[in-house]
Amino acid sequence: MNHTEIMGPGVQIVCFAASYLIALTLEITGLWTRTAWRRPLVIGITLAGLVAHTWYLGRRVGAAPTAPLASQYDWFLAAAWLVVVVTLILWFYIPRSPAGIFLLAVVLALIGVSKFASTTPLASFQAPRFWGMVHAVCLMLGTVVVICGFLAGIMYLWQSYRLKNKLPPGDRFRLPSLEWLERVNSRALGISTLLVGVGFITGVLGRLVHGGDQAFVPWTDPVVLSLAAMFGWLMVAEIFRLVYPAARQGRKVAYLTLAAFVFLLITLASVTLLDQVVHPGLGTATKGATGKEIGLPSHLAQKLAERPGRSS
Amino acid sequence: MKLNMVGCTHRATNLEVRQLLAFSDEQATRALHKWQQRQPDTEMVLVATCNRVELYASTTLQERDQGNGDENGGAEQGEFPNSLIQALLDFHQVPHERVAGQLISLSGQEVVDHLYHVTTSLDSMVIGEPQILSQIKEAYRRAQNCGSAGPMMHNLFQSALRTAKRVAGETSLHKHHVSIPSVAIADFASRVFERLDDKRVLVIGAGEMAEETLRYIRDTGASQIHVVNRNADRGKTLAARWSGSYHPWSELEAQLTTADLVISTTGATESIMTARRYHQRVAPHRHGRVLFILDLAVPRDFDPDMGNSLGVYLYSLDDLSAACKRHQEARQQELPAAEKIIRQETNRFVVNAHHRLTASVITGLRHGFEQPKKAELQRLFHKLPDLDEPTREEISRFADRLVNKILHPPMQSLREASQNGTPHGLLDAIKRLFQLQD
Repeated sequence: MNHTEIMGPGVQIVCFAASYLIALTLEITGLWTRTAWRRPLVIGITLAGLVAHTWYLGRRVGAAPTAPLASQYDWFLAAAWLVVVVTLILWFYIPRSPAGIFLLAVVLALIGVSKFASTTPLASFQAPRFWGMVHAVCLMLGTVVVICGFLAGIMYLWQSYRLKNKLPPGDRFRLPSLEWLERVNSRALGISTLLVGVGFITGVLGRLVHGGDQAFVPWTDPVVLSLAAMFGWLMVAEIFRLVYPAARQGRKVAYLTLAAFVFLLITLASVTLLDQVVHPGLGTATKGATGKEIGLPSHLAQKLAERPGRSS
Repeated sequence: MKLNMVGCTHRATNLEVRQLLAFSDEQATRALHKWQQRQPDTEMVLVATCNRVELYASTTLQERDQGNGDENGGAEQGEFPNSLIQALLDFHQVPHERVAGQLISLSGQEVVDHLYHVTTSLDSMVIGEPQILSQIKEAYRRAQNCGSAGPMMHNLFQSALRTAKRVAGETSLHKHHVSIPSVAIADFASRVFERLDDKRVLVIGAGEMAEETLRYIRDTGASQIHVVNRNADRGKTLAARWSGSYHPWSELEAQLTTADLVISTTGATESIMTARRYHQRVAPHRHGRVLFILDLAVPRDFDPDMGNSLGVYLYSLDDLSAACKRHQEARQQELPAAEKIIRQETNRFVVNAHHRLTASVITGLRHGFEQPKKAELQRLFHKLPDLDEPTREEISRFADRLVNKILHPPMQSLREASQNGTPHGLLDAIKRLFQLQD
């Protein structure tokens, strides 16, 4: 069975990636030329991409119920889907915001990274499905929130720089106000701490309770180490923010969210490139580790391991 | 087109003459009533602002009674425009010699073009200022109420308002603020604060600029206004006028600690707040909260180094003036697009006006053919009583088609000729050929 049979004819990763790329290009060209039809066109193309994206993920779930968060590949695509939804919501509430440029770039980056991610089912799914899902969903939501906080932080510093230097507001590129960006930053920090914390703890507990002969937490593993460091940083930042009033305002919050993003990058790099222990079989799809080895039915494991451009 | 405008503007007339001919609202109403009684055949609208007094008029009298009657513009000095100038001067009892060479007189298409420039604010002292549009609307409404505005003035002013709407919608001429307070709020404060209704506004000093800025801030919903001033009486007066609260000068630091937005316009000869004092006495209590300061005083009230402090956004008059200048330049760049719209609309108005003038001839022509057509059909049906209904209808349609085809060439010629002005020669020829009555 090839991936076209699973995903349905015509719906491939390139369909929605191309839509997002065109939308991003239109957003960027909007910095120089602005026409009445540009915004509806950008929204239309992004919506078309989102429909194709949803269809794609839906087919993945149809093929294997543990998707769309059962593998790194699915996890990245689901995170990208969520960022697209955030982009559309932002366009609705702040129509003139240039946030689409940043967010669509992140979407394309996530889709790009997914091409290098493993399609092998994650070990977390050996744990009961509910806790496995909580672990994966929380970490995915936490990732998206950290990304949003990072972008808000970047925009805050940029807007602050422009204001400090008395630069005029751009006609075509109008950043949100400092007050709004500061609020997004603060909330992103608090929410991401909660989500990453729940994701991390459920992962640890799942490992301890359902790990069988591997019922221990490999604290020296790069994935565990980086995720623990990220969670630790978020906790410290949040406590610092709550205790020290100056850290609740302005640039300090922006710096905290930027640092959180650096931890996120390290964690994602560890998961994508180095994870061999925590999620057995990760990164070993080509070596033969399959969903079957971690207890999934053979037909589901085979379907999960399939993706565009990779023969099954 | 029997359309004229006489008056004075800031471009052609000095301030002294403009003041001599200025009209208050009450005077404008009285003048329109008076002129309307004297010249009932004339439609009039009087536009009176601080920069211009312009009397737009259109008469139903024959052009031969109006002196030269150059309908396509030119500095017409005929009887009609002279009577309008005299009406303006008589109302204020100003001798003609006092205004010699200072008044402008336009006619025909020039009037349309000028009014469109005025309405779109291209003729204003500050290009793009929004007040002129409401002043034009008010002038037209006043003329309507006085009964001095008729169909011609209605068409003229409605088209002028439509032109202004097009310029506002299709260019960004009006999007660039050019006054210091509007730039301060629209360009800078709005990028710091999402909303101002929950912000604490501190006014230091009771200068004129502070009040003007407060007007803009109030429009955005700000309600927490606090005034600090050395002179308690003036401070209390200002606070009372804006429903704010007054605080003595000794509370300056305390008020700065809690303020979000500061407008400073004192007449102090030295800084009222140094960077050192701010860092020692105010900043520690603000915990990095954003402080937006508009220092509109000359010399400055706030030490420029304060602008480097965390969370402080300090703007001086020079900074805001530079922004205003940028906006004025941006407006200049929009002028060609606005002029293009005005040209299009002027041509449209002129062609429509000429069409309206030829309409009576066209109607007469049609009427002249309809009568014999009906008479001939009646005679034919009377002679052939056995014709059935479908045949009668077919014959009627044949007669209609024949009349339309006969009328098509003269009407087409009229339409084409009226593109470039009223075709008086052709209209006269048609009237004489077909014996049409006026």
